[in-house]
Amino acid sequence: MSVDREQDVVPFRNRVKEQAVKIRMGLVNQTKLITAASELVRNMLRYANGGKVFIEVVSKGRDNGIRLSFKDEGPGIPDITLAMKDGFSTGKSLGLGLPGAKRLVNEFNIKSEVGIGTEVTIIKWANG
Amino acid sequence: MDRIPILRMGQFLLVTIQVDLYDRLAIDLEADLIKMVSKTGARGILIDISAVSIVDSFMGRIIGNIGVMSKLLDAETVVVGMQPAVAITLVELGLPLKGVFTALNVQKGMDLLQSKIQVTEDDDVETHDDDNSDNLLK
Amino acid sequence: MESLLTEIVDSGSSVAILDISGVPTVDSLVAQHLLKTVSATRLMGAECVISGIRPEIAQTIVHLGIDLSGIVTKATLASALLYAFSKMRLEVKKIQVSK
Repeated sequence: MSVDREQDVVPFRNRVKEQAVKIRMGLVNQTKLITAASELVRNMLRYANGGKVFIEVVSKGRDNGIRLSFKDEGPGIPDITLAMKDGFSTGKSLGLGLPGAKRLVNEFNIKSEVGIGTEVTIIKWANG
Repeated sequence: MDRIPILRMGQFLLVTIQVDLYDRLAIDLEADLIKMVSKTGARGILIDISAVSIVDSFMGRIIGNIGVMSKLLDAETVVVGMQPAVAITLVELGLPLKGVFTALNVQKGMDLLQSKIQVTEDDDVETHDDDNSDNLLK
Repeated sequence: MESLLTEIVDSGSSVAILDISGVPTVDSLVAQHLLKTVSATRLMGAECVISGIRPEIAQTIVHLGIDLSGIVTKATLASALLYAFSKMRLEVKKIQVSK
């Protein structure tokens, strides 16, 4: 689904929650996943004026999980290592968005090219 | 446009967040609350987030802001009813929520606010005559 | 951690005591987990006291460079209870029995 305005955030969070409930993810993990998703979607809105999010159910052995991919065509991140640091922010925020989101999920991948866009993929396992 | 209602109860302002917050709503709440504190001269703010399932870094920051801003206007802020899953997530996120007090439920939050303003009043007048009423609450 | 926090909400407790006297070793992961539990308890509006830290564990905690200074720690479960009672302004007294 595409997220272009702030009003899209709440329905998006609900969609993620639906999927998480479907694979019987525990409440704490659900909360962590949705919080991480909320951080990433905010980044996408703020720095790239929105983008596309893909919600998928993935499985590894017996464990199911949710994979979220956030794709935008924004300005990109010049220095990912720096952006992943706690307390670093180019906007006026706490600088917890990216590193915080990473701590909340099991797998976190970020690809970014200046001038082309950014893609962040996260996975949270139901029992992870 | 949605707005979160702010109730006035004696010297305190009461906010119960019943909907999923999005950024605009949180920013409006911050502004409304601070305006309200200065207009009414309230001594305390109680924010009930027991129905909130998600608090991310942005909303956490707004809550912290409210705490610090209201402190400047001589009002204390108590956040009550945080869900365990939300608390765990906030800790993992690295957000300590400085500047606000927390309490398990509205009752305890009210008691806490009451005791906070009691203490400052005692300091002002330097009498401890109203200790009885304080103990009655416990 | 989740079960402790849920129990705090259900029972409306203002103090939780985490007694780890039965825990033989604490690695950095466990210590971190303890810290997180205490922080989460605070966010919810209760206090968490850790009691029964063995000397070996105190040593490891310091050697691992983990900062527990912001946390109330008590030597024994009894002293933790005493602390909790005084926090809640409760007192345990021996009742004088006349013979």
